[in-house]
Amino acid sequence: MKETVTTGSLESSDCLIRLEPSEQLEIDLETDVHEAFYEHIHTLISDTLEEMGVQSVYVRCKDQGALDFTIRARLIAAIERYRELHDG
Amino acid sequence: MRTDDLEALLDVLELRDGMRVSFHHHLRNGDAVMNEVLAALRRRGLKDLHLYASALFPVHTEAAACIEEGTIRHVTTNYVNGPVAEEIARGKLRGEFTMQTHGGRARAVLQGENAIDVAFLATPAVDAEGNGSGIYGAAACGSLGYAVEDHACAKRSVLITDSLEDFPVPGQLSASHTDHVLRLPSIGDPGGIVSGTLEVTRDPLGLKIARMATEVIRHSGLLRNGVSFQSGAGGISLAITEQFNDMLAATGTQASFFSGGIAAPHVKALERNLVEKLYDVQCFDEEAIGSLQRNTGHIPISAGDYADPTNASRVIKDLDIVILGASEVDTGFNVNVTTDSYGNLIGGSGGHSDTAEDSKLAIIVAPLFRGRTPLIQERLFTKTTSGEHIDCLVSERGIAVHPANDKLAGRLKAAGLPVVDIETLMQSAHAYTGRPKPITRGDAIGIVEGRRGDVQDTLYRKAG
Amino acid sequence: MARSYLFVPGNVPRMLQHAEVFEADALIFDLEDAVSLEEKDEARQLVRSFLQTHPPSQPAYVRVNADALARDFSILDGLPIHGVVLPKASIQTLASLREQLDGEEWSVLALVETPSAFLELSDLARDPGVDGLILGGVDLRAALHAHPTESGIELLYARSRLLMAARAYGIEAIDTPYAESDDAGFETDLKRSVALGFDAKCAIHPNQVPPLNAAFTPSQERIREARRIVERHEQTGEVRFSLDGRMVDRPVLEEAKQLLERAKRYKALKKEADDAD
Repeated sequence: MKETVTTGSLESSDCLIRLEPSEQLEIDLETDVHEAFYEHIHTLISDTLEEMGVQSVYVRCKDQGALDFTIRARLIAAIERYRELHDG
Repeated sequence: MRTDDLEALLDVLELRDGMRVSFHHHLRNGDAVMNEVLAALRRRGLKDLHLYASALFPVHTEAAACIEEGTIRHVTTNYVNGPVAEEIARGKLRGEFTMQTHGGRARAVLQGENAIDVAFLATPAVDAEGNGSGIYGAAACGSLGYAVEDHACAKRSVLITDSLEDFPVPGQLSASHTDHVLRLPSIGDPGGIVSGTLEVTRDPLGLKIARMATEVIRHSGLLRNGVSFQSGAGGISLAITEQFNDMLAATGTQASFFSGGIAAPHVKALERNLVEKLYDVQCFDEEAIGSLQRNTGHIPISAGDYADPTNASRVIKDLDIVILGASEVDTGFNVNVTTDSYGNLIGGSGGHSDTAEDSKLAIIVAPLFRGRTPLIQERLFTKTTSGEHIDCLVSERGIAVHPANDKLAGRLKAAGLPVVDIETLMQSAHAYTGRPKPITRGDAIGIVEGRRGDVQDTLYRKAG
Repeated sequence: MARSYLFVPGNVPRMLQHAEVFEADALIFDLEDAVSLEEKDEARQLVRSFLQTHPPSQPAYVRVNADALARDFSILDGLPIHGVVLPKASIQTLASLREQLDGEEWSVLALVETPSAFLELSDLARDPGVDGLILGGVDLRAALHAHPTESGIELLYARSRLLMAARAYGIEAIDTPYAESDDAGFETDLKRSVALGFDAKCAIHPNQVPPLNAAFTPSQERIREARRIVERHEQTGEVRFSLDGRMVDRPVLEEAKQLLERAKRYKALKKEADDAD
């Protein structure tokens, strides 16, 4: 438990992000707008991870209709917390 | 016959497989009648019935069980959510699924196009002669507008009540059309029938949209003595009704009538003498029921008198302004209120298509996106109401006016209101949501019928 | 210049994405009191991401944390904002803020909410970086051991003192938001803000914005009167004259000009033709 970090919430227009240690890059995305935006959000998450230089982590995202700016902010905040926990 | 025994009643009704049985929805989510009657029909082993219900709600679990077992083969309704919607969306219905409008249903019943074998009509109060009313009794629901044509036209009409009154009950259901009266211990849960008070929205987005819609009305050219108005029971609609009342008072304008579903803000207008008549097809709250008892200007009407397109004196042919909702709108102003953008059945036309067509000014009010799903889509999942009948769309980021109504656009622009074209409005939503991937539909599961019985659209399941 | 400053909690996506549409003249994205300690880092990223992606059409301010200026400023870099709101403003916190600003030309609104700030108010108001004073009524009340009253007597001195300082140094005077949810109390409080002479007021709920904008916009009656005064002056060149039995002199003339300017800014000036309606 101590190894994971969580950001965001399950409020509408927000998303809950959890990061856990992993050997590889894994994205587990559940969204209430699956039909229209699953691929888009998946790409947003992997692009943000790449931009932040994250190579291996397990990302769990439970999305409640969050817009891009929110998903990105929640993920960046999670990565910073994760780094603080593991490197800091 | 007059009895307390459902089984004895069913014995005399000579029920057969394949019959069309009708129900109304005035007891809404507090209705106990449909479940009880359908359960008895299922126990009797009847098959392939046509469920002809003006609306279906989450409480109607027995109807879902009947679909599953084959007791019900076809469903025709004007509005559906809850377990029946889920059952149909899963493709469990063996026969046909038809969604009508309130006016279209009344027309089909009156013209004999949809002949009803037995109408099982929940009736809050019935007298010794067989007259029925919705105003009295333990399960009072107010106007019984959606029961009137069924009662008059069905081969057999059964009034089902829990309040047999000794005094004569003057009501919408005249004894001359009543064949049987069944008394049950309870026909419904008053808590689910009407709301104590419906909440006028405090949601700032809803209020912003309401303010803009009120400004549209102010500058529409229709705000004058004799103006007529209709709005539903949604939070935004109620807020607009309150603002419309204040605008009538502030400008010294007297409205002629409000029509459709009636709630506290409509009653307030009548009692402040801002409007002459309320033409009430359905009551939404206790205020409306109380008003029916005490106000002579508050008049219950039938679905046919309300919206039947072949009825030359229907109330809404004189309707100036109607406020309507939408789950989706396309760039041609076509509106979906039947499914969401992903194909989940969430409602239906009710009076949407009827009032949109008959009114002079049909205003759609809705936020530009809910969660991440944009309101304005390039292609609708389901088309409920044709765009040619819609005059404008009011959203929090602008007002789109149908190109056919450039006079309205001119008036609103001159008043300084933010008029934008609908494509621009769609793009401004996409700037937040992104452009959604086109949704693939599954198999066809039914049809949306226009108010004259024409096929408006095909209903599809969700894909996969 | 604005009539309404709407506070938007920094860690609520739903509020951020709709903030622009509520007709506020300015928005204050809040990293301070509306955000719990554990969520500060999330709120910083959320506000940054939002302002980068969807810069609002009206001036945007960020309320920073007086005790975490460095961390807050680390995410403000390059954002399209108009300024910052400095809570618990004092000569000392203002100096720390200036260090962080590092030459950035952002406007500073000083939130005056401690008794000591009132003792240094002239110095705060005189500071060339400070463009306005906001009264922080809730914190000040608590510090004074005062209670909210219907008459607002407990804040009367603070409001008046803040206005004196703002007017003396020609900066904006912005009144404290109404923190309760009753509409009648809000209306009373709003009328008081206008009567005292405030330029603007903060809103903590979007539904407060429309009445607030209306209250700070000059009424048509006052606009008509001001217009007649200015027109008479322009036609005759007089600075002292009598109009409908009222004596007009230079201060009255100046006030009329200011009122017309405000009316123009808030689009309350109608064309003559409309006036005839």
